[in-house]
Amino acid sequence: MKQTLMGNDAIAWGLVHANVDMVSGYPGTPSSEILGVVQKIKHQLNLDIYAEWGTNEKVGFEVAYAGAIAGKRTCATMKQVGLNVASDALMSASYIGNLGAMLLISADDPGFHSSQTEQDSRVFAKFARIPVLDPATPQDAYDLTKYGVELSEKLQIPVMLRPVMRVCHAREIIEMDRETNFSPNKGKFERNVARWGAVPRDGRFAQGVEQLNRIEVIKEYNWDTLLKSEFDKCMGKDTLIITSGTGYGFVKETLNDLNLEADVVKVLMPYPLPVTQIHKRFKAYSKVLVIEEPYPCIEEQIACDKVYGKNTDTVHKIDEMSKEAILNALSNINLYDGENIYKTPPSLNFDVEARPPALCPGCPHRDVYYAITKVFKKKKAIYPSDIGCYTLAIAQGAIDTILCMGASVSMASGFSLSDPDKTTVATIGDGTFFHSGIPPLLNAIYQGHKFILVILDNSTIAMTGRQTTPSRSNRNIDIKKIVEGMGIDCIEHHYSHEMQDNIDFFKKVKEVHKSATGPTVVVVREFCILDRERAVDYVPGIFAQVDADKCVACDQCTTVYKCPPMAYNDDGKIEIDPFLCAGCGGCLDVVCPTDAFIQDFDYLKRGK
Amino acid sequence: MKYQIVIAGFGGQGVVFLVKVLAICAGNRDIAFLGTENHGMSQRGGSVSCDIKIGDFTNPVIDKNQADLMIALEQNEGLRNVSYLKLDGTLVTNAKDKDDYPKLPFKGFAKIDAFKKAEAGEFPIQGLNVYMLGIALATDKNFPFSVKEVKDAITQMNAKVAKQNIEILDHAMRDIKEL
Ligand SMILES: Cc1ncc(C[n+]2csc(CCOP(=O)(O)OP(=O)(O)O)c2C)c(N)n1
Ligand code: SF4
Ligand code: SF4
Repeated sequence: MKQTLMGNDAIAWGLVHANVDMVSGYPGTPSSEILGVVQKIKHQLNLDIYAEWGTNEKVGFEVAYAGAIAGKRTCATMKQVGLNVASDALMSASYIGNLGAMLLISADDPGFHSSQTEQDSRVFAKFARIPVLDPATPQDAYDLTKYGVELSEKLQIPVMLRPVMRVCHAREIIEMDRETNFSPNKGKFERNVARWGAVPRDGRFAQGVEQLNRIEVIKEYNWDTLLKSEFDKCMGKDTLIITSGTGYGFVKETLNDLNLEADVVKVLMPYPLPVTQIHKRFKAYSKVLVIEEPYPCIEEQIACDKVYGKNTDTVHKIDEMSKEAILNALSNINLYDGENIYKTPPSLNFDVEARPPALCPGCPHRDVYYAITKVFKKKKAIYPSDIGCYTLAIAQGAIDTILCMGASVSMASGFSLSDPDKTTVATIGDGTFFHSGIPPLLNAIYQGHKFILVILDNSTIAMTGRQTTPSRSNRNIDIKKIVEGMGIDCIEHHYSHEMQDNIDFFKKVKEVHKSATGPTVVVVREFCILDRERAVDYVPGIFAQVDADKCVACDQCTTVYKCPPMAYNDDGKIEIDPFLCAGCGGCLDVVCPTDAFIQDFDYLKRGK
Repeated sequence: MKYQIVIAGFGGQGVVFLVKVLAICAGNRDIAFLGTENHGMSQRGGSVSCDIKIGDFTNPVIDKNQADLMIALEQNEGLRNVSYLKLDGTLVTNAKDKDDYPKLPFKGFAKIDAFKKAEAGEFPIQGLNVYMLGIALATDKNFPFSVKEVKDAITQMNAKVAKQNIEILDHAMRDIKEL
């Protein structure tokens, strides 16, 4: 049956058609839609599937992995940096293996579109010694999802699927199973302490030997079932291009555009590679070019005199694939000596103002950061922050450091110890607090580190598409109670669209903190303006306009507060873009030194 | 057939909606379609550009100097991306009615102040994406799908708002004829 699907939709259908009935993971671009779509299919077809977000990737992985030990077919989804968090579990799981199937989906983001690193999950699979599959298109993603689940059950080891953003968020008309005959395995845990509870040294040593042998078996399997036929298709050209994932699609098109000929081998399983068999096939070629992204995973396995790639400075080493990058690589190996067809006249390179992502109009995060920087002045403060929508407050000068999820709290400890003369004010979202903010807060409390922690509780994981947080699903889980359970107070504040209320609150926090001997923890109850369920109850519908006579073009609103509807008009006065204003009323108070923002009562009449 | 389209705008303008509509058009006629969308970080009001490749392609990204058509939902987002358009391609852009728009060398060109029209209440701002699609349909003689095919796809996408969207599409095609 033909269907137009995004890569992540295709993966979700692949899971259902492979009879996977346990999916757990943690949101992260570009992987987030997979689990959400499984939830949709579950409701649409009324299937008995467990598809839930874990509190973090390690938790998500372990829930799925236990299911696979008990014989079920399971899956864990995450983005590539999420795998760092789950890696402790993965490294051991690859020794122990499973009885059912476990597909680990780790989505990569070459080009840093929405990620803090460009790391390559295929290299992680190699490190963990598990097989990894690299789809080139949504069709591949569907096929390889099903294949990977079967393979995992056959080999009794977790298998990784590594789609990149250009697969997850690509859209294609794909061919998939017409029927969904959902028949999952029945779970039945079989006690086998020697396997599931293997202890060092003897137990794990034996599993380590098995792991090495298993990799050799998989190499053979890779050759016999996937690679050999690819090599057999080759036409005896002078140059061989070995590629995996999206690289394949880019290579094919570039060769076609440039009218060049080369043999192209598409690698579906970039690790483990049957190096001996592959090397035998090199004899017929003068040069072998490896095209892959983002790290040299295949290249390093098959390196020899004839192989050109990133490590020989032939192919780009950072940023995403483009046909221009491949053209350059083909020039570097002297296969192409023509002009660069992927270039337009320099007159078409316009220097237009950047439009970086920003907090939504009406987002409470903006007001809270504004109030924080008003009360805790920059010169005497350090602002460690964390990962979420609120990271965008970096544009307000309200954030000094960003490392990885949860690090705001532990780094606040570090800064308070190393530069105690300044006030450290850390900020973290509720999603991130649940994910990895709790252990570092415990650490700070028991060791008495003096800093302020502001937890921005909008009751959703907004950045990645508004997935639910634990407290959203179960009201008994409350951040305030969690903090109190650690033995300290948690000062609560409800975000107010009247800025002065927020400023007064932080003044109070400043007072409390003066006499504190450990962390001062604050939870600000907010909402996300895109959250249809909650926002209606909170947004006051106070739309703004500018009193042009009062506006003195002082730049305060466009540099410190920064709500997207505010921009200068041709008369040099600030104007509110009526299409963008969310009616939060946040700018009417304090933000403008001359009080130029006033309510626009006619707003609704002008039609939105 | 091989046809490559770049759609440029910013987060919240409904760029992805247009990708989906054109994907349905391709599906209905059983021609291959490969496209790529922006999700995540870039959705927070930042620049967004989506690529659509219709016909026999193997990767979803459009390189510079390759696109046959660009639909720009905002002036600067269009200019930011014009290097992806071939010189004999067509640029359709929402841009202010002022003379400072640069002279561009493209074979096909249409410029219209869609923001002004939305502000004047001619159509709701959420329909600006469909409005610009209508301008493209009427301007680009090589547009791969017919008006009927596009309307059918819009109906398949979301039958509830189809009537309004089709009105906007017709409105745009009338406007461009009058220009
Ligand atoms: C280890 C890891 N997992 C997932 C992500 C993807 N990610 C980016 S922001 C974010 C959570 C944001 O939620 P929250 O802290 O509640 O802030 P909000 O966006 O709601 O303001 C996630 C999961 C990541 N960057 N790192
Ligand atoms: S999505 Fe929600 S939390 Fe994120 S910037 Fe917009 S309003 Fe704020
Ligand atoms: S009322 Fe002011 S702060 Fe709120 S969205 Fe409109 S312009 Fe932005």
